[in-house]
Amino acid sequence: MEGIVNSVLEKKIAEINEGSNAYEIGTVSMVRQYIVEVTGLLNVSYFEKVIIGTSAEGYVDAIRESSVLVSLTVIYHAVKIGDSVMATGEEYQAKYSQSATGHVMSIFGEDLMVGKMLDDLEDVPIEMEPIPIMDRTAVNRPLLTGIMGVDLMYPIGRGQRQLIIGDKKTGKTQIALDTIYNQRGKGVFCIYVAIGKTKKEVKAVYSEFLGKGVMDYTLILAAFNDNPAPVLRNTPYAALSIARKHLEKGEDVLVVIDDLKRHADVCREIALLMGSTPGRDAYPPDIFYSHSRLLEMGCQHMNGGSITILPICETKSGDITDYISTNIISITDGQLVLSAKNFEKGQKPAINYGLSVSRLGGAVQTREVKRLGQPLKRELLSYLEQKEIFELADLDEMGESLKNRMRRGGQIINMLNQGRYAVRTSEQMIEEVREFGEIAE
Amino acid sequence: MERMDFKSNNPAMDFISRNNSKPATFEAYDIGRNAEESAERMDGTFIGQIVSISSLKVDIFMEKPVVKVRDRVFTERSGRKYWFEVAEIKGSVASAICFNNTKGLSRGLKVYLSGTGLEAPYDDQILGHMFSSYGEPIDNSGVSGYNKRNIYDKSLEMSEIIIDGDILWTGIKVLDFFAPMRKGFKMGLLGGAGVGKTVLIKELINNVYKGLRSNSVFVGVGERSREGRDLYDEMLEAELIDKISMVFGQMGDNAMSRSRAMYTGLTCAEYLRDEKKQDVLLFIDNIYRMVQANAEIATELAHMPIENGYSPALLTEISEVEERINSTEDGSITSFQAIFIPADDITDGAVHAISKHLDGQVVLDRKVAEKGLYPAINVFATTSTLIDPEVIGDRHFRLVEKSLSILSRYEELEQIVAVLGIDELSESDHNIFFRARKLRNYFSQPMFVAEQYTGIPGEFVAIGDVLDDVEAIISGDLDDVEEQDFTYIGAYLKTRK
Repeated sequence: MEGIVNSVLEKKIAEINEGSNAYEIGTVSMVRQYIVEVTGLLNVSYFEKVIIGTSAEGYVDAIRESSVLVSLTVIYHAVKIGDSVMATGEEYQAKYSQSATGHVMSIFGEDLMVGKMLDDLEDVPIEMEPIPIMDRTAVNRPLLTGIMGVDLMYPIGRGQRQLIIGDKKTGKTQIALDTIYNQRGKGVFCIYVAIGKTKKEVKAVYSEFLGKGVMDYTLILAAFNDNPAPVLRNTPYAALSIARKHLEKGEDVLVVIDDLKRHADVCREIALLMGSTPGRDAYPPDIFYSHSRLLEMGCQHMNGGSITILPICETKSGDITDYISTNIISITDGQLVLSAKNFEKGQKPAINYGLSVSRLGGAVQTREVKRLGQPLKRELLSYLEQKEIFELADLDEMGESLKNRMRRGGQIINMLNQGRYAVRTSEQMIEEVREFGEIAE
Repeated sequence: MERMDFKSNNPAMDFISRNNSKPATFEAYDIGRNAEESAERMDGTFIGQIVSISSLKVDIFMEKPVVKVRDRVFTERSGRKYWFEVAEIKGSVASAICFNNTKGLSRGLKVYLSGTGLEAPYDDQILGHMFSSYGEPIDNSGVSGYNKRNIYDKSLEMSEIIIDGDILWTGIKVLDFFAPMRKGFKMGLLGGAGVGKTVLIKELINNVYKGLRSNSVFVGVGERSREGRDLYDEMLEAELIDKISMVFGQMGDNAMSRSRAMYTGLTCAEYLRDEKKQDVLLFIDNIYRMVQANAEIATELAHMPIENGYSPALLTEISEVEERINSTEDGSITSFQAIFIPADDITDGAVHAISKHLDGQVVLDRKVAEKGLYPAINVFATTSTLIDPEVIGDRHFRLVEKSLSILSRYEELEQIVAVLGIDELSESDHNIFFRARKLRNYFSQPMFVAEQYTGIPGEFVAIGDVLDDVEAIISGDLDDVEEQDFTYIGAYLKTRK
């Protein structure tokens, strides 16, 4: 914290010496949580960084006819009416360092495990321009999760956006963590973005990753529950800007965003405090765009690099048809739906195979995996559907082929069971499906 | 000068704009006007200066009210031009919606009026190329020097509109059977998130467009850029790119772009219809996103919302676009419109308003998709104005009615079976139960565009074969065939003989 103040001060002193310190000063005239109204800043730009003495800093979120609204991102002390607000003439940006890999970082470039700023910090815009259509190419290289139920049936490709959705405590985050774990030695830079997670949760992920060697290629970008809401709002965008930096070098990046429902709630909170008109479920009408422009950063770039995004969305009582969930589903290239019922029955991962979708499907699988995986998926789905109907039917009166199908279906479910971090290679999966096929036939 | 204050009814707004008496001079706004600098430029006329900024909108103070709604204006900062369209004028202040974003803009920047409003290419060069919502080429082809037309100008008189046309078969069993269409038709493809709207629209492009070989326009509104790119590549590969024009305002773009893509796409379609006298296919994926974008713009303008936050002018905005999609003496526009159903809520105001304009609709259902049966169509909600014995013939009509009655009885039986088990059904219900399941499976279909995902080659099925198969399933002729054998096939009888 002190570091930020010092670096800003040093910079300002240098500028005063150069005589280029002609910054405007305004006055705080209203405080509402982390939104302050400032009068007198007549020439600031939209999204410019401003500093309120030694109390706080933030950025210009709206310019009105006779005042500006500032969203605070750092609050050292409570802001008072009459406090001086200094414009900086700079766009509000996040900080990143190439040496951040292996650390838990905030968007200000602070190493949160030790409370110090990282070295060699550089500015990263919070948001970047969309990736043009012609710079994209087809998504067709697999990003293996090591989870059979995913890689065989609902595969993820490099550059794909695949949503992980389900109730609390159904193993959503674990699927993402397994996926990151499985990228070891595969040349993928991973960013785990924690939005509104508790410090305890993030620390647990960090220790687990550290123990497994995952931090060698992973950055954890965290915004905690007790950070001002504008930080939580900006963190996923900054994560994608960092991913873009790596993409530009032709690298493959995997970004896990945990989670977007919380992010939507943060956006709603800010919009309502700023006096915007609420829309459906009181979310601001541009909540779709808030998420669509974020997730559209996922792509297979023509330079060979890619950004794969696994957003996570929490639901209530298994309802994936609420407003925010359907919005995100309509943005992503597919979804893995986790079911509390399956979880309780002991099915791990608790994927609801009927409701899950991969819009890219076989296009991102290798030939052999596709040849075995897609028929397996069809067989499993038809088993799950028939199971419901024939649950009460007399087993002895079933036809031989129906009986056989029901037995095989149960075996498929068993075969797909897999514990935490028990990732498998494609070869192991192929082997298992082949063995299964032989036994059953 | 007094100006109306639209915000005063909202108590939350008091916090933001307590200053209700608006000053009327540049000095009062503290933006210090410099008369010499604000002289004319080559590319525009000076109209005023920016006085307020939000993420999507700027307010411009003008000394003289010289602009009209839908005029195009711009400002310049650090050598970059920022474009806007005037949305509303209140006395001497004009509110304008930005084309990209407002990051970096500040009060006092000078605003100039461009000679024209938003224009789209109106030229032979639209074919084979990809344009942004603002009519600029985005396919790196360097296409230029084409004629343009204002994107809002057109509207049709009732006397110009033609309503008849030949039946158009799509080769998709469930569509041709339950919702047949004709040339000049408006077909809606409604569905919640992730139930297969886009795959279906791509299959239609494949079947109808490749079959008819007529020119077409694809409008991507608020959808995935990845899909836009895939479509371009597929058209290139199929050597059809010269017959299609594409307009994209995708989901990474701001509300203005997503809203205006429709108008620009329509202008391209009108060029083919009015100037080239052609029958045009218009694919829109998806029109709901335009309504959504308009809601974002209306919020920025502080319009009172209707339920679920939509723009109060929802019906007007949809009608303005839909009434332009029609056939004339010169040519026809047959449109396929994907419509997103937010929160799986089919009673949503926007969905309802769009579907009023449709001649037919196909509703995709999560419950069907869950069973792995694609296209995941809910046959009960799927309709067409052509389901009429005089149009499709007695046999087809009768089979549709019979199928619907069997399938709806099946839904009831499913619940009975869930409680009592299958053995408790009477013989006639038992037959209906299993025939309905076969029928349901039969209406799944392997699609050409999904082959790379599923590994099963697509099938184009003639309506005659569909009628034969359905008749045989209903009558019980195929009772001995396993229900599994009807899943993901083309025609049954024809291929088994």
